[in-house]
Amino acid sequence: MTGVAALRASAMSDPAARGRATSLVLGLVVLWPLLVIAEFKPAAIFEAQNLKTMAGFLAAFLPPETGQEFLVYLGRATLETLAIATAGIVLAFALAMPLALLTTRVLSVAEIGPGPGRRRAQALHYLLRAVLTVLRGIPELVWALVFVRVFGLGPAAGVLALALTYGGMLAKVYAEILESGDTRPARAILEAGGSRLQALLYGLLPGTAQELTSYTVYRWECAVRASVVMGFVGAGGLGQLMDQAMKMLNGGEASTILLTFLALVLAADALSGFLRRQVGEAGTGGRRSGIGSVGVLLGLAGAAAAAISFVYLGIGFGALLTLESLRSIGDFTASFFPPDLSPQWLSRVGYGVIETLAISAVGTLLAVVGGVVLALPASGRYGLAAEQFARFFLNTLRSVPELVWATLTALSVGLGPFAGVLALALHTTGVLGRLFAEALQNAPPQPRDALRDAGAQPAAAFLYGTLPEVAPQWLAYALYRWEMNIRMAAILGFVGAGGLGQLLYFELSLFHYAQACTVIVAMLLLSIAVDAASAGARRRLA
Amino acid sequence: MNHTLRRLALKGAFVCALASFLVPSLIGSAAAQENVLRVSAIPDEAPTELQRKFAPLGKYLEKETGMKVSFVPVSDYAAVVESLATKKLDLAWLGGFTFVQAKIRTNGTAIPIIQREEDAKFTSKFVTADPNIKSYVDLKGKTFAFGSPSSTSGHLMPRFFLQQAGIAADKDFRNVAFSGAHDATVAFVAAGKADAGVLNASVWDKLVEAKKVDTDKVRVFATTPPYFDYNWTVRGDLDPALVKKLTEAFLKLDSKNPEHAEIMQLQRASKFIPTKRENYDGIEKAAQSAGLLK
Repeated sequence: MTGVAALRASAMSDPAARGRATSLVLGLVVLWPLLVIAEFKPAAIFEAQNLKTMAGFLAAFLPPETGQEFLVYLGRATLETLAIATAGIVLAFALAMPLALLTTRVLSVAEIGPGPGRRRAQALHYLLRAVLTVLRGIPELVWALVFVRVFGLGPAAGVLALALTYGGMLAKVYAEILESGDTRPARAILEAGGSRLQALLYGLLPGTAQELTSYTVYRWECAVRASVVMGFVGAGGLGQLMDQAMKMLNGGEASTILLTFLALVLAADALSGFLRRQVGEAGTGGRRSGIGSVGVLLGLAGAAAAAISFVYLGIGFGALLTLESLRSIGDFTASFFPPDLSPQWLSRVGYGVIETLAISAVGTLLAVVGGVVLALPASGRYGLAAEQFARFFLNTLRSVPELVWATLTALSVGLGPFAGVLALALHTTGVLGRLFAEALQNAPPQPRDALRDAGAQPAAAFLYGTLPEVAPQWLAYALYRWEMNIRMAAILGFVGAGGLGQLLYFELSLFHYAQACTVIVAMLLLSIAVDAASAGARRRLA
Repeated sequence: MNHTLRRLALKGAFVCALASFLVPSLIGSAAAQENVLRVSAIPDEAPTELQRKFAPLGKYLEKETGMKVSFVPVSDYAAVVESLATKKLDLAWLGGFTFVQAKIRTNGTAIPIIQREEDAKFTSKFVTADPNIKSYVDLKGKTFAFGSPSSTSGHLMPRFFLQQAGIAADKDFRNVAFSGAHDATVAFVAAGKADAGVLNASVWDKLVEAKKVDTDKVRVFATTPPYFDYNWTVRGDLDPALVKKLTEAFLKLDSKNPEHAEIMQLQRASKFIPTKRENYDGIEKAAQSAGLLK
């Protein structure tokens, strides 16, 4: 071979080929067992028999059920869902405020320097932070499932479940927000001998109130979605109706409930956006005028909504605090301990963890593929019509919660892990597609244009001009969603989609609380591990 | 001015928050004292359907007991049991297995008072769409659908009778699914999602009557021996006078009486008969040997 030919050959071949091939092979080696565990059998979707069942069920969606009796139930359930979300957030706020106050490091005199109570204060901080981790590490659906047993049927369980999970979440984020701002005023107040509360009110709140309010309102919006889903375990509201309609294959009722749900989520979205904009304006324009009249009005409206929610749900918190009910809560909690740590049970739970991981990983991968495919038209590359259609499609995918998708996919491919994979993939495609499209639109056009001007094909211009710009962002989004999907996969089992949720549901149904406790602990450890891993991964990406 | 306004707003918000805590708790505890009979049922059918079916019976019980009757719809079997045990319910429509669970969780105090004549000799049907499945042994290595894990006729008794026939549900099936409800099990078998499944005979008959199942495709290949199923149970510390009133009210129901006919038809009952705890000892033993009770 002449030197020139060799040079040309090496110029034509991809210098990174070797590395890429290795990672491709490695990827396949890792992916293969995941696919097996997740029972990935796409052919099942297209089997004539399954298509027919699915088509029959979907055909029954039309016309939506509009019987008056049903609409009355539906109306009541919708109000209940809203009230659960609102009351839950109010309680979560009440729980989060003191916890945030106690765990924010910049509000602690002991953290400033060595003093007599420093060790003790730090130990207390770690303890409280651990409590927060437990509160938000256990999914709200699990709390709801447990509370339904203790507090009886209906919305009380949902409200308390939201209060605990969201209380833990709010407290953590409040503390982060409070620590991220300018902390010097707070420190000055503390050093001048001011109290913790004074340092918060006059040192930290003025700078962070806007962000805190905004985040709280955003969480309320999330709570509306979550309170729908909690109905699946008997905690009242729309979810309970939806669960039954789906199980009984009542298409007409299912479609009316689904439409109501979509309208509710869109309305909550819009209201939350409006409120956050109001808060934003108050922050920029109105700092000198204090809270401002709009703020006072909104605050009063919020307080009224909260009061109405509690009255509407008629939860007897007084009755919860009687000696007798406290004892029954105590007995109930005690029956969970000690957890079953026998080798057989641990190995089953261990397999459940692996199954949960496999479901989430395969579901997220499928969603990445689907997201890229839909993001291209949604970013406007193929004209306005394609863009509008793709966006509408993505919004629909995204608006239906994973649990609802799972009841549908279980119908089409049968109960089991694969139904969970598809449910995660469908919802996540909606989320990732939109984020991917935004990243595409924000990518600088120069590299691509330069390649096109140099005569490159559109595909090559995309691969070498645009893709490198957006890839890191896409990867970050995908990792973040994977993290959320692991948590979600743990509970999809409640509707029969495999993993830890199915184990938990089965054991709780049979009152095998020691076994259920092991599963809950496994969910908690998984959530903590994922938290730590993703924080590490993001630090490396950043 | 601004400070006073801000302080006022803060105070107002604080008072509102406090009020939103205290007011409902006062209202709530007051409501619990009222003269209300709280009734629920295990969700073997849609809650809307259960509520509709219960409405005339509820009115009848209101008249007979002189109490307000409120029906609490549920979607979780176990929640009904736990609510009875924690005295959140007074009267509940339970299955045989859920009754045994309730008995255990109330330390033996829950009292079954009444059942339909049909419940004393209840059966389950094994169904399949696979022509090669003709008996229990053919089920080895197949996928199988039960109803809810807490169901007597959709899970416990079939599992027990399979075990008697030498089939261990956890080992011998390729995959076990819980469809959640009896009619869902039929849908799974009809669509070939599960090779075979099992459901309560009464729901099967109802589906066949209503032509909701294609009997050319899905057929019954085995029927279990009879066992005791559903009953109406009260919590053990309910006023004995009230328990007596309730029992008599059910026993008085007569399908020949036109006023009662609607109630009986909705409950799918020809006659209500008294029942006792001992009737369910067989179910308890079955649950123990099937490993569902620990």
